[in-house]
Amino acid sequence: MRAELALILALLLGACGSTPKPVDPPRLRAALEAESDGARRYERGDYAVAARRFAEAAKLHAAIDDATGVARNRLHLARSELVLGRDEAALQLLDATDSGGDAGFALDAWMLKAQAQLGLGRADDARISLDEAVALCAGACPHAAGLHLLRARHALAEKRAADSLAHAGAALKLLQGKDNAAETGNAWRLIAAARHAGGNATDALVAARAALDIDRRLALPEKIARDWLLIGDILRAKAPAEAATAYRKALAVAQAAGLDAITMIAAQASQDIGMQK
Amino acid sequence: MSLLTQHDADARSVRRATRRFLLVAILVTLALMAAIFVRQGLLRQTVSYSFVADTAQDIAKGQAVRIAGFRVGSVTDVDLRDDGSVAVKLDVDADHARFVTHDARIELRKEGLVGSPTMEIVPGADKTRLAAAQARLAFSRADGLGALANQVRDEFIPILKDIKAITGALADPEKGLPGTLARIRASSEALNVLLANGNRQVEGIGGTAIRVLGKAEEDLTHLGQTLEAANKRLPGMLDRTRQVLDHVEKISAEAEASVPPALRDGSAVAADVREIVGGAKQTWPISSMVDAPAPARLKPDSDPRGEAGRAR
Repeated sequence: MRAELALILALLLGACGSTPKPVDPPRLRAALEAESDGARRYERGDYAVAARRFAEAAKLHAAIDDATGVARNRLHLARSELVLGRDEAALQLLDATDSGGDAGFALDAWMLKAQAQLGLGRADDARISLDEAVALCAGACPHAAGLHLLRARHALAEKRAADSLAHAGAALKLLQGKDNAAETGNAWRLIAAARHAGGNATDALVAARAALDIDRRLALPEKIARDWLLIGDILRAKAPAEAATAYRKALAVAQAAGLDAITMIAAQASQDIGMQK
Repeated sequence: MSLLTQHDADARSVRRATRRFLLVAILVTLALMAAIFVRQGLLRQTVSYSFVADTAQDIAKGQAVRIAGFRVGSVTDVDLRDDGSVAVKLDVDADHARFVTHDARIELRKEGLVGSPTMEIVPGADKTRLAAAQARLAFSRADGLGALANQVRDEFIPILKDIKAITGALADPEKGLPGTLARIRASSEALNVLLANGNRQVEGIGGTAIRVLGKAEEDLTHLGQTLEAANKRLPGMLDRTRQVLDHVEKISAEAEASVPPALRDGSAVAADVREIVGGAKQTWPISSMVDAPAPARLKPDSDPRGEAGRAR
């Protein structure tokens, strides 16, 4: 009993005498918590709320003159805007973002800009952004795979199927053994599209199905619907009935997920193939 | 002879001492009696007042009467009246009667909330007129612990009722959040069905129109038939659209009525909750247990909408 009492007293004395844990200032803590909450929501697919939280975090960081925090959260916000399909808003945000001389932030910003410009169909602007990004991504750049994928998208937009296939293949090689299923799915989708554009329907179908498998595993409705559209496009010339099935699946997924734009594309594709048959 | 003389002298001396002792004893007794009288207030001048209380609880004869905490008198009489109320008389030192204004009131207080009860004369605002002797003053009881508990309960009950009503409204499967969400879901499904039907009909119309236009040179009557078909279908479509819109409008109106205001201020409530949780997190010892999160890193996705594979 005496030993236990001595132990408890020793613990109490130790607790009282230990150095107090340094606590972050409340405003910085609030900003980091807003950012962390936004990241959690982004991971859950709640992009609209995530965007609001990142905007709030950027404001909180700005209030304490933390330029790094502001830049980081503006990039998060731009990423959320891109997922939400608000490419123009993302581009404006990125134009107004000062990376503060941080090469990592600058590279992120150029890549996101290229993404927005490709989404808006501005291939020439995207090339400029991609050139800037490539200049910043030398050596063992962790964004090399993503950059290859964007260059593959850009090449595809400029109807350079061979270049697109080369970049997508390079990206896939870099992604092997890495835990990045989303980018791997993007790589397969681009390979499929490039092969399809190059007239290799058989291999294109294999790649498109690989992309579909990954996107199904990740449960990403927009990508699944677009994969089905791509499969329909690939099959359209040789197997119209199977293509029609693929378009119907794309339509069903898009309708269930409330994706209006893809619903319209899939409905139009179904209609076209119906007329073709 | 000398012995007798000596004895007389001693006897006188004893008598003198006895008389002195008796005199001092009488004086002390008188002083004591005077002190007792003074203590009992029998010799002081007092002014009598009275008040009527609902109950004699915490009121007793001899109880001290105070002004600003100083004892200035006492309760002299507590009587039960015919109507069930209690008549209380009290005497206040004449010297202190100048504080008892005509609008003064008597308050029964507890020392330190739960201590012994005391009678406090609280002078009124009008200092120009004093209360007359035998005047009946107003009486009230200051809130004791029980009264405070009752007050707190009275204030909390409406809040608890509100919370109950809000949670009830939220949980109500018909009019609450589940019901509202179910109706919105049903409505969105109806809209989807309408959209799908619309698309099919438009596709049908479009396909027919294209075919008819292709043969326009050969047979213009086909175009007329197609337009006629379209005319037949369009009113149905428009009617369904109107029905769905009516449905949505109705849902919006119902949601306005059934979704409690707290939900409409959801962001404010969420902000408040965040504030509270944030405040708690910053408080010792929680602050020492919860680390501030590290800067977030989002997983890169060069094509979050999968647009690369197919033109939009």
